[in-house]
Amino acid sequence: MLKQLKELIRKEMLVLLREKQTVPLLFLMPVALIFFLSLALQGVYLDKLTGRQIMLVLENQARGPKSNLLEQKLSAHRSIQQVERPRGYSNDQLFESGKAHAVIVIPQGFDEGLKPVEVEFDPVLDAGYKAATRALLTSLTAEVVMGIDDIEAMTTRFIVEKTQKNTAFPGPLQNAVPGWSIFAMFFIAIPMSIGFLREKNDGTLQRLFTYPVGAHVIILGKLIPYYLINLVQFALMLLVGIGVMPFFIRYPFTLGSHPWHLLPITLVVAAASTGFGVLVAATAKAPEQSSALAATGAVLMAVFGGIMVPTALMPVFMKKLAMLSPMYWAHQAYLDVFMRQAAWRSILPKLAVLTLFASVCFYIAGRKVKWM
Amino acid sequence: MKALEISHVTFSYHQKAPLPKEGADWALRDFSMQVQAGEMHALVGPNGAGKTTLMKLITGQLRGGRGDIKIYGRKPDDPAALSAIGYAPQPVSVFASLSAWENLRVFGVMANLPDDVLKERAMAVLEATGLLPYAKKRTATYSGGMLRRLNLAVALLHSPRLLLLDEPTVGVDPQSRNNIYETLSKLNAQGVAAVLCTHIMDEAQRMCSSITLLDRGEVIFSGAMKDIPDLEKFFLEKTGRSLRDDS
Repeated sequence: MLKQLKELIRKEMLVLLREKQTVPLLFLMPVALIFFLSLALQGVYLDKLTGRQIMLVLENQARGPKSNLLEQKLSAHRSIQQVERPRGYSNDQLFESGKAHAVIVIPQGFDEGLKPVEVEFDPVLDAGYKAATRALLTSLTAEVVMGIDDIEAMTTRFIVEKTQKNTAFPGPLQNAVPGWSIFAMFFIAIPMSIGFLREKNDGTLQRLFTYPVGAHVIILGKLIPYYLINLVQFALMLLVGIGVMPFFIRYPFTLGSHPWHLLPITLVVAAASTGFGVLVAATAKAPEQSSALAATGAVLMAVFGGIMVPTALMPVFMKKLAMLSPMYWAHQAYLDVFMRQAAWRSILPKLAVLTLFASVCFYIAGRKVKWM
Repeated sequence: MKALEISHVTFSYHQKAPLPKEGADWALRDFSMQVQAGEMHALVGPNGAGKTTLMKLITGQLRGGRGDIKIYGRKPDDPAALSAIGYAPQPVSVFASLSAWENLRVFGVMANLPDDVLKERAMAVLEATGLLPYAKKRTATYSGGMLRRLNLAVALLHSPRLLLLDEPTVGVDPQSRNNIYETLSKLNAQGVAAVLCTHIMDEAQRMCSSITLLDRGEVIFSGAMKDIPDLEKFFLEKTGRSLRDDS
């Protein structure tokens, strides 16, 4: 029996790897997604006050002691990059050309308390940067107007920051590596269902049943290769995250303090994605239909599950909806390890949901599929 | 000794139990047939007569229904019975991404052939079907005739004592057809029994010594081939000239 199972696994691997679409779909696509989307979304994850400098035009029309001090404080701040307004450029032209993100004008009458500081942002500037710059301007203006040297030092008596580093909001790689790995793992449903339906339609699957080999051996021979490929996919993406991406992105990828938790999580996620593949194979009638069904299903689960848009950025309603997607639970389980240093008991419920999903998929497929 | 014995088999796809009543849609109804060891037996009938259903019941792909099927005295769910059968289905059922050699290896392992026997038998069947020079090429590159011959080679690989051949020469050129006929004749001479399911009456008359004619799931004639001077004419007389478009 073991020899037959080994041969069926070998056969399935050969068939799968000789398909031109398999390697690009299962291995290159997630690597490309991790690479480009981590780079592209870097700004979303950056610390709004310290991560990137705001380019601003600062115009001091008042030239009084307070306005000069405010100009000095703003210019010296590490998150501000002061730029000159090119001759003849209006604010709109400044923003359109990308030469500045904001314009701050200290008008005449500021020192006397007659006029406030004016600020105008590039309308497309990220809301986080706007809020951060506004807060900075407010605190520096308050320092100048109220004659306080360092308002931040003063407020530490009332407010103490206790947030642990990187625990509330994942970095671009911490989010992308598990996210796109899960996405690719669920894409296994495409080659899996196509292969299954092709063999069913050309009669090779039925032919196997005419040999003295157990049905369970044939079924396992069709499932195990895809399960193994899922494990390889995750290992590869992890290697890309650890070994390759830090050369291109300033935020490192860390495994967290319990990296061995990744093993059971990946085993369960692979079972869920294989179950999804079996369900698609059992539901579709033709390879073309299964391909569309698997791709649409995987993309929708990724959209809802916080893979394409991090759940941290979602409104409350969407966060609730995300829980319907198995990818959400898989992603959260990985983030538990990578970000939250979570204990095993926090991860277990997520794995229970994924196991339930896999069981339901296998059960429905088992009832639906006519192997012969 | 009887290679195949089918007794009063009744089967319907539409109802598992109880079996359909009179006038219902039968795939096979009270069907009986016998093939002696070393005999080549023709199974002929119009489209939808029940030939493929019968093949699937013999090979254990379909289960249920009533009646009894025995292969060399054993039931189809007995692994020894399955080992005795070499089945070449009507659609060419080989893995297109694999080479002929790799296909034979997969099916040889399924048939529990030891490695050395598998290699020896694979060489022999490739030689017999004229595929040895192309053994390492992927079957996706094969012509229709080559695929048919490989389909047969897979069925012959584990030296079965009963061959079930479902339209083995459909869509092939005269050269491939001749090769298949020669291969079957040699095997028959060695004592291998065969059930040849075909629409080519000339082929059935030339190759087989006995015949079962079935229509709408029932036997309408069973006897020796030598008693039928013109099988094509006999077939049309027995089954009528109206078109049969159901599959």
